[in-house]
Amino acid sequence: MLDFMKASLLRISWMTRLTFLEAIRQRFFAFLILLSAALVLSSVSFRFLDFGNGELKFVCDFGFGGMFLFGSVLAVVMSAQLFYAEMDNRTALTLLAKPVSRTEFLVGKFIGVWFVLGLFIVTLSTLLGIILWARCQELTVAAVELGKAPPDFSVAGLFSHTGMQWARLGVVAAMILMVASLARTFLFTVIAGSMLVVAGQLQWLAQETLLKPGELNFFSKLLLTVSTYIIPNLQQFNIGDALTLDHGSVADGAVTLALFSGTCYIVVFLFIGSLIFRQREI
Amino acid sequence: MKSLRVQWIIAIFCLGLAGVIAEHSWTKVRVSIPEMGKKQIEPSLGQGVLLGILGGFRAVVADGAWIRSYVLWERRDRAGCEALMRTACMLDPRARYFWENTGYVIGYDMAHWEIRKRGGYAKVSAEIQDDLFKKYGQQGIRVMEEGIKYTGGNVGILISAGQMSELKLKDFSLAASYYKRASESKNAPWFVHFMCARALWENGQTKEAYAWYRDVWQKRLSNEEDHAADDLERLRFMEDELKLSLIQRIPRQPWEKKY
Repeated sequence: MLDFMKASLLRISWMTRLTFLEAIRQRFFAFLILLSAALVLSSVSFRFLDFGNGELKFVCDFGFGGMFLFGSVLAVVMSAQLFYAEMDNRTALTLLAKPVSRTEFLVGKFIGVWFVLGLFIVTLSTLLGIILWARCQELTVAAVELGKAPPDFSVAGLFSHTGMQWARLGVVAAMILMVASLARTFLFTVIAGSMLVVAGQLQWLAQETLLKPGELNFFSKLLLTVSTYIIPNLQQFNIGDALTLDHGSVADGAVTLALFSGTCYIVVFLFIGSLIFRQREI
Repeated sequence: MKSLRVQWIIAIFCLGLAGVIAEHSWTKVRVSIPEMGKKQIEPSLGQGVLLGILGGFRAVVADGAWIRSYVLWERRDRAGCEALMRTACMLDPRARYFWENTGYVIGYDMAHWEIRKRGGYAKVSAEIQDDLFKKYGQQGIRVMEEGIKYTGGNVGILISAGQMSELKLKDFSLAASYYKRASESKNAPWFVHFMCARALWENGQTKEAYAWYRDVWQKRLSNEEDHAADDLERLRFMEDELKLSLIQRIPRQPWEKKY
């Protein structure tokens, strides 16, 4: 049993390595990471557009927005592309002819993609952290001169948010691989996957509606209840502002629970994906 | 085949379980996210705020909505301007700026727009004008009340609401209640105590005004570095107006200039 698990893990690690290298070499990845980095770096230049907030909050919002938007695009497109590349080039047939199970193939693909997404998030967070730190130093000097309270930001909070975003992108990638294992075309996967991401981001509205069920009929209530359990609530990972700038406002254990919830969804989506993929004709 | 069916049942069960965990997680995370419900979003949909609702860029989209609202403000488009300003407030509900200025625009500007739309100040009777000022003033104060709730009792919004109550509603009692709340907050500005006392005084509650102001001065302001000499000077004026006897007055301070 132990030998079987060792061999299985080795095969998954091969798949992960192959997927990671293939993804890193893609121009799409390079393009998106450059675009996102440019967005994060330019946030300081756009601060004159800010009205109601402190400057650090505006910079944070800009950076987190870039992570959310481009991270989601990367997770959706890259997961689907790497999966269908194997199908279209018939390399999947060669791989699966070897003692590699379909579950191992799918899990290896996922981990490879997830590592790339991790690299993306960590790069952007580091850049954002440097910008926030630099601006924080300047603003502190100015605040001291004016006798005002200096601004502050939490590096630990930024680190926690990076973890949360990585978990969110992991859920998205696992969801896309689940759709890809069922769908026949790349385009369908990308469109259906994008819609699922949007639904996941807006899922909290269904939960809010369920809290006031007075105006709902039975079927609407049933539909909303089912959808809140099937579609992951991706909004639960978006507490970057609170974590970075107002660390005290985050409830104890909120980050751990959100990360655990994300991990559960990743495991479940990969499990369902492998069940579907095992029955698929290639 | 049977094994596959069992696996599917386990998968569906696990998906439900993940949903339950996510629900618990959401209740913990919810308090850290600026509140925005379905009702607040509905009037804003179709105005480019979807990105803000979806995830990041909330403050950026709020700023964009605010800039767009100024275009409508210049055109004096009441409905459009209010919708966009409220959108900005809802996207970034912890920012004082949006709430305060939305309240100002509704409370101070919109009544004038409506009077001009009805033919101008010469055509609209004074009573109707007064009604309009009051109606929009009340709406502006309602917006500021929301802002006070979302910002955790921001002093700036409290003072603005007090001023609007005075100027537009001529309700000094309401104004005094706002100033009092501002005065009780930790970062109350030096002038708000006098504003509260003055509003009570204007409301005819002269004795209450003096008693409240005196209490604030004796318990808090007199301990300040400059002993709040200006406030004491105003208290002396009140004592004179109320014709208080020497024993009823605040004892003379060693640093006090002759009044």
